[in-house]
Amino acid sequence: MVYTLENLKNDLHGAWAITRKDLTIYYLKPNIYMSGILFPLFMLLAFAVGRNAPIITLIPGLIAITALFSASSIEPVSIPIERRTKTFDRLLSAPISIFALVLGESISGLLFSYSICILMLVAGAILYHLSLVSILILLVGIALSCFTFANLGTVFAAYPTENVGEVMSLLNLVRLPLIFISGVFIPLEAMPSWGRAVSAISPLTYASDILRYGFEGVTHVGLVTDIVMLLLFVIIFQLIGNLLYKKFNE
Amino acid sequence: MPELLMNAIEVTTLTKHFGSLVAVNNVTFTVPKGEIFGYLGPNGAGKTTTIRILTGITAPTSGTATIFGHDIQREKLTARSSMGIVPETSNIYDDLSAWKNLMFSAELYHVRKSERESRATELLKTFEIYDRKDDKVHGFSKGMKRRLTIAMGLVNSPPLLFLDEPTSGLDVQSNLIIRQVIRDLNEQGVTVFLTTHNIEEANLMCHRVAIINRGIIAAIDSPERLKKTIQSVQAVELALEAMSADIIEALAHIPHVNDIRREGDKLRLYTEDPGSVVEAAMAYLREKHIRPISVNTLGPSLEEVFVRLTGLDKGRKNEKTVT
Repeated sequence: MVYTLENLKNDLHGAWAITRKDLTIYYLKPNIYMSGILFPLFMLLAFAVGRNAPIITLIPGLIAITALFSASSIEPVSIPIERRTKTFDRLLSAPISIFALVLGESISGLLFSYSICILMLVAGAILYHLSLVSILILLVGIALSCFTFANLGTVFAAYPTENVGEVMSLLNLVRLPLIFISGVFIPLEAMPSWGRAVSAISPLTYASDILRYGFEGVTHVGLVTDIVMLLLFVIIFQLIGNLLYKKFNE
Repeated sequence: MPELLMNAIEVTTLTKHFGSLVAVNNVTFTVPKGEIFGYLGPNGAGKTTTIRILTGITAPTSGTATIFGHDIQREKLTARSSMGIVPETSNIYDDLSAWKNLMFSAELYHVRKSERESRATELLKTFEIYDRKDDKVHGFSKGMKRRLTIAMGLVNSPPLLFLDEPTSGLDVQSNLIIRQVIRDLNEQGVTVFLTTHNIEEANLMCHRVAIINRGIIAAIDSPERLKKTIQSVQAVELALEAMSADIIEALAHIPHVNDIRREGDKLRLYTEDPGSVVEAAMAYLREKHIRPISVNTLGPSLEEVFVRLTGLDKGRKNEKTVT
């Protein structure tokens, strides 16, 4: 069947309807707040307390891991719940493609995470009088990072279970190691060569790098590389998400 | 094929395997436009798998299914646009109001913005939940949730409606509303594909029924024609002033009585020849000075057809509906 412009219009419309449904229902769920906001905050405190690092060196990392944890937490909560209540079948049987489903779910993660990261940015700027090198790069970097991690969450939520805990456990197997190999707490320069090689396959590396540029004007891998790699991860996660949702629902 | 002559559903040699289990086995049937088609079968017979294939949620292992001429696998979005789906579980969002649930469903089915509100209002009034339209659904009764689920399936005014157990376990008010709506929709030309455990419901509502068992269709026909296929389960029903094991034993030995069952305060004598059984039974009762309160002859019910064709005879003899 040929995918027409009309199909695309309908899919985008359907994706937006799914996003708004998620915004209304899931944004206030306690496990989303716990996993998406409190967890990264406590993790940062665990690393920052007792160290004399200036706050400006911590804020990019805090925002990056907040983006990771908040953006990737919506779908692993909402989709298993919807499988349990059978509302997920409503989405699967509607005249929209799997692409619309994956996109709509991911946009809801993006918007949730973006608003939290911007709040943190504003709070940081007010409380610590942060000077920013490029507000535009920061806003774009946060958006790209949030969308990448939202897609990551959507991919993991494809795992066919009705149990939120199962998806979260699998997701944390990936999210937690990412923190230590992506230059968030341990600078990339301080890592051994194998560590730097591993960091190249972590989206968090590029997310924290682009945010560091926005705050400090320095990057480790280059601004263009950050943007290209984050976009590449979005595409890869979208493709994997589409494949998995098709496979697991047949 | 001209659209007017097209069948609503055409299923050809449909098969679905889950590992070594064959859930649907070489199933073929058609549902003409405007028909109420019942799909009956015991649990695990393949009813839900068939619906999931027909609605494009599950892919068949082999075979094809078309909806108004559109292949459900190759033209999934077009085929789905012309159907409404009401699954067995009321899959509505408890945290949204009835109104928002309908709006969401209308958006997923690409209902124009100008039509959404009038359609939702009309449906909520039809299903008698308009007064609660702004209430979150988690406070609704089971019957109200079911009515809302059906309303959501109708929000795009589909020419074909899939209903999976629409009235199972509901209160009388909800049952009456839902059955009336299905009849009204059918009068307006909507084709209905209905799965149900309630055989009486299928008997009353369906133009034709298919009986599926272990993934294989055992029979497809109108309820009345199906009943005629099992004349051997005609019965003579006797209500007697006195009933004892001896009387039951004696009646069971009347020639041509194939089976005898006690149904409440009555006895049913199953036979292929009710006339001679009535004569012989009355002669026996006169001889024993037992006065009959009533004597009726009964044709086979759709339930009996179902039980016979699905091999559920054992252990189900006294149930009115099959669950």
